[in-house]
Amino acid sequence: MAVGTHGESFMETDPPASHSARRGGGGHDGAERDAAGHGLDGLAQVANKIRDAVESVIEGKPAVVRLALTVLLAEGHLLIEDVPGVGKTMLAKALARSIDCSVRRVQFTPDLLPSDITGVSAYNQELREFEFKPGPVFANIVVGDEINRASPKTQSALLECMEERQVTVDGTTYVLEPPFMVISTQNPVEMEGTYPLPEAQRDRFTARISMGYPDPAAEMEMLDTHGEASPLDRLTPVAHAADVRGLIDVVRRQHVSQAVRQYAIDLVSATRRHPELRLGASPRATLHLVRAARAYAALDDRDYVVPDDVQDLAVPVLAHRLLPTAEAQVERRRPEQVVADLVKRLPVPSPGR
Amino acid sequence: MRLRMTVMAGMATLAGSLGLYPLFEKAGWFWAGFGAVLAVAGGGLLARRLRVPALLDLLFGLVALLLYLNLVYASDRAWLVFIPSPDSVHHLGELAGDGWQAANRYAAPVPLLPGIAMLAAAGIGLVAVLVDLLAVRMRRTALAGLPLLAMYSVPAAVREDGVGWFAFGAGALGFLALLMSDAREQVGGWGRTVTTRRRPREVPMAGARPGPGEPVDPPDASALAASGRRIAAGAVAVAVLLPAAVPGLQPRGVFGLGGGSGQGTQTVTTPDPLVSLKRELTRLDDSVVLSYTSSDPEGSGYLRLYALDRFDGDRWTYSPLKSSSKDRVTGDRKLPAPPGLSVAPVHEVTTKVHVRREVRNMTFLPVPYAPSKVSIKGDWRVHPDSLMVYSLRDSAGGRSFTVKSLRAKPTAGQLASAGAYPADIVSHYTAVPKNVPQQIWKLASDVTSGSATALSQAVRLQQWFTVNGGFTYDLSAPAPQHGSDLVDFLLHSKRGYCEQYAAAMALMARILGIPSRVAMGYTPGSEVKPGEWVVHSRDAHAWPELYFEGSGWVRFEPTPAGAAGQGTAVAPGYSQPAVSNGGGQENEAAPSPDSTSPADGATESPGAGAHHRNDEGPGGDATAQDADQGGVSPVPWLAGALLVLLLMGVPMALRMVARRRRWAALIPRPSSSPGPAARTRAQASDPAGAAHAAWREMRADALDHGFDWRASDSPRAAARRLGELLELDAAGARALTRIARAEELARYSRGRVPEPAERLRADVRTVRESFAASVGRRARWRARLLPPSTMAQTRAALRTAADRVLDVTARVNELPSRLRLRFRRR
Repeated sequence: MAVGTHGESFMETDPPASHSARRGGGGHDGAERDAAGHGLDGLAQVANKIRDAVESVIEGKPAVVRLALTVLLAEGHLLIEDVPGVGKTMLAKALARSIDCSVRRVQFTPDLLPSDITGVSAYNQELREFEFKPGPVFANIVVGDEINRASPKTQSALLECMEERQVTVDGTTYVLEPPFMVISTQNPVEMEGTYPLPEAQRDRFTARISMGYPDPAAEMEMLDTHGEASPLDRLTPVAHAADVRGLIDVVRRQHVSQAVRQYAIDLVSATRRHPELRLGASPRATLHLVRAARAYAALDDRDYVVPDDVQDLAVPVLAHRLLPTAEAQVERRRPEQVVADLVKRLPVPSPGR
Repeated sequence: MRLRMTVMAGMATLAGSLGLYPLFEKAGWFWAGFGAVLAVAGGGLLARRLRVPALLDLLFGLVALLLYLNLVYASDRAWLVFIPSPDSVHHLGELAGDGWQAANRYAAPVPLLPGIAMLAAAGIGLVAVLVDLLAVRMRRTALAGLPLLAMYSVPAAVREDGVGWFAFGAGALGFLALLMSDAREQVGGWGRTVTTRRRPREVPMAGARPGPGEPVDPPDASALAASGRRIAAGAVAVAVLLPAAVPGLQPRGVFGLGGGSGQGTQTVTTPDPLVSLKRELTRLDDSVVLSYTSSDPEGSGYLRLYALDRFDGDRWTYSPLKSSSKDRVTGDRKLPAPPGLSVAPVHEVTTKVHVRREVRNMTFLPVPYAPSKVSIKGDWRVHPDSLMVYSLRDSAGGRSFTVKSLRAKPTAGQLASAGAYPADIVSHYTAVPKNVPQQIWKLASDVTSGSATALSQAVRLQQWFTVNGGFTYDLSAPAPQHGSDLVDFLLHSKRGYCEQYAAAMALMARILGIPSRVAMGYTPGSEVKPGEWVVHSRDAHAWPELYFEGSGWVRFEPTPAGAAGQGTAVAPGYSQPAVSNGGGQENEAAPSPDSTSPADGATESPGAGAHHRNDEGPGGDATAQDADQGGVSPVPWLAGALLVLLLMGVPMALRMVARRRRWAALIPRPSSSPGPAARTRAQASDPAGAAHAAWREMRADALDHGFDWRASDSPRAAARRLGELLELDAAGARALTRIARAEELARYSRGRVPEPAERLRADVRTVRESFAASVGRRARWRARLLPPSTMAQTRAALRTAADRVLDVTARVNELPSRLRLRFRRR
């Protein structure tokens, strides 16, 4: 079984100790509880360490790094879309490497098959039974590179895992161990040799971010640091998977007031009614939005969510799920602009008179 | 489409011409105008078919009009019936001249003589040419309203009672229809609208052709038409309601079109007689109006034109005269006997009158009362009740006529012992409108207190006006327009000329129960030779006539005579208390020694005209007039100013109340909460409320100072933006942040307690000072006096109301199309 024949090997770090079928998510260890106990303070400490580590590799993009971290803490998946060469893969790898957990990387190619992602049952002649060989999806962080180069069939294999956090092969369901995060990169859909992700699959990504070109100063510094050796090599893990699980737990307990929830719903339903949009955001988008807002607030060292969190996250969380109408396309109105306009116009709910 | 516009322009002109109907006796003019409009439209169409320049378009229309007129009015003199020959054109010109003269001779409604009909057709045709040129050719449809308006203004100016609603509505609708079809065409040029606001319509696929059965949709402008209708309705509403709301603009004056216009074509109306009176009195050239010889040895009586028998609360007018041919006066026919004249001694007087040729529009004959026989050429008629002699179509200018009249010479005793009035006289001549103020009633009884008989009351009244009432004859006083002017004359200004005197005395006589009316005409004028008299325009006069059974209508003279009054006025003997020896009670009315002298002095002096010219000169007493106008009571103005001030104070007061109320609920007063425990409890009860109050208060302050407040801003975003706009010192920035954070905690956190209310209140004050410091003086004062935040609530309420209205109107607008759809489906 040669999964990694195309491009680099998808196993970059050591595989996790074991993946057993039907392993429940209940195995919280002490460290996890420790982080949860620390609450926000612990979270900020750990989050800052991760952030610093990633930023040592990705220079001049603090907002992008923060978003990536937000998605990680919100138990979401990240889609990084940009032209080649701006550091998409670098970000994914840096985030993966700064956490001491299992990381797999899959280079998506047109001939990649679903079983190359999920794993296969192979016949073990010694034991005379079928044995499940887990695919690269069995990791804490899965980096799917150039996901839109694979055929839709293969894409959907990964996307099923993303939503349900489990893999079903030959009738057996294997639960993926938390934290589980897919960081996919893709080239803009207009480029050659790409299969654009269907809406249903884009919907599963919590956020889509784009890197953007670095500013000249950052690019200059990049030249300096990359001259000797890849900064990625110097990166050492700064947090354990258990730490991250604790952080996620803290984030889950973040308070989201009625007003903010109402605001999120208003925002999402406004996209459904918007005349320039053919397809609005799904209820799953609302869920993702609020979840991401929780994490975002936690990263800001707050134990409650404010509408500003929702506003900051609206474009990355919602824009990639929306389809503009033909008229809007003719006018070159991008969904990002539509969402930004909505955020600017939609009144923040205020209590009473 | 051009055809459609041409038709619409013609229709609009015709609809506008409907307003002319009160001017004519019969309806034939309409068809003449109709033909003219048709001809003009044809000419316009031809011009556009030939694509000639716009100026030639005008020419085409005019030529078509000429051809039409020629065909209708001068075909017998034209070549080949319709080509104008010099002869026929000359004839047309003659016709036009005749028509012009006739139109000037007659008061509306004029009889439909050929000349007048031709003039009407030509006028309507000219308007049609202009409308056609402007609306169809030059596409300046709005401008086409001007000729239409000019046509409408003719009857509005000529007829005192204006034009009826129907005619006005028809004209306006015609113009609106023209505007609409033009706009529809212009909008249609942009193609059909794809979506409407309410309901997205299906867009046909490109290239889809309607099937053979389906109707081809015309350019669809219904959405725009709907908003157009909304705007039109709004404009009409404003035009109707605004004048009513503006003080000083009388809606009756603006919209007093209705009235009884257009009723019986034989009703005689003239321009207000009293208006012409003032005009004649103040004429610069004291021209001779008429001359006459009188056979009366005692000097001539007054020459009467009108008898105004009706007081409508504002002015005296005469009831509409129902004229019929049996009222015609002929040389040998006697006029009806003067009403009520049975006892008083009478002698017959023959007066030969020659009216100067320059006199225009004298459709009522100046005759001495009471005429018994009038010999004059033309169609003259008599009104049996008042014995006014008038004509529907002729003017007395340049004519000579002979009048035989009965001149009564009642004695004071006869008048004093006059019997009861007949019922019809009482009902007709003692009516006093309800709106006559109580002061006048009281004044009338005060002036005549102690007098028993009608005569003594009348004499007292005249005495009061001429001698002891303190009145001043002043020709520069403005002509009374309303009842209030009369009140002002009687009670305050006491300045006026014969019109006021006569009107006031007649009114007061009616109040006292004496039948009265106001007569208008001329004083006897000046006797140039024995028996020969000349009447100048300034001898125009008005006087009251009172009814006494047995003597009939008896003249009184409340206007001061002589140099300080109406120069040639004469007070009759029976009206003088000095010579009246009637009832014994009258003796107590002490006659003042000089009461008769001015009248006597001026009565028959030939030089009286010269005298009063000096006194009544137009340069007379301008200052007095100014003083009168400036002397308007200031109370309404003061009250108005106070009201305006109060209204201006409302937003400020609202703001202060709102501020107080916000905090009052949160910050316990020391007096009401003696113990610290109670105090903390009150605070702890609603910390979020305090934060909300502080936030709202700051929001209101920001709005007051003209800062933009976005609904999409969260508290921290708003604070950040304000912080950027303001130049805050450290304390201000901290206060702002604290308020925003308190609000944020109150809104979004769970169980976090924001700052205490006192602290927040202080912070709000700090921030308000920062606001005030960073705006200009104007904004600062506006924030204090007219805080916009108080308007925000009102505006929001208005906006929802407006939305609802829009919704309803949109639904109403969609109704026709929905119905159409339903029909089509069937």
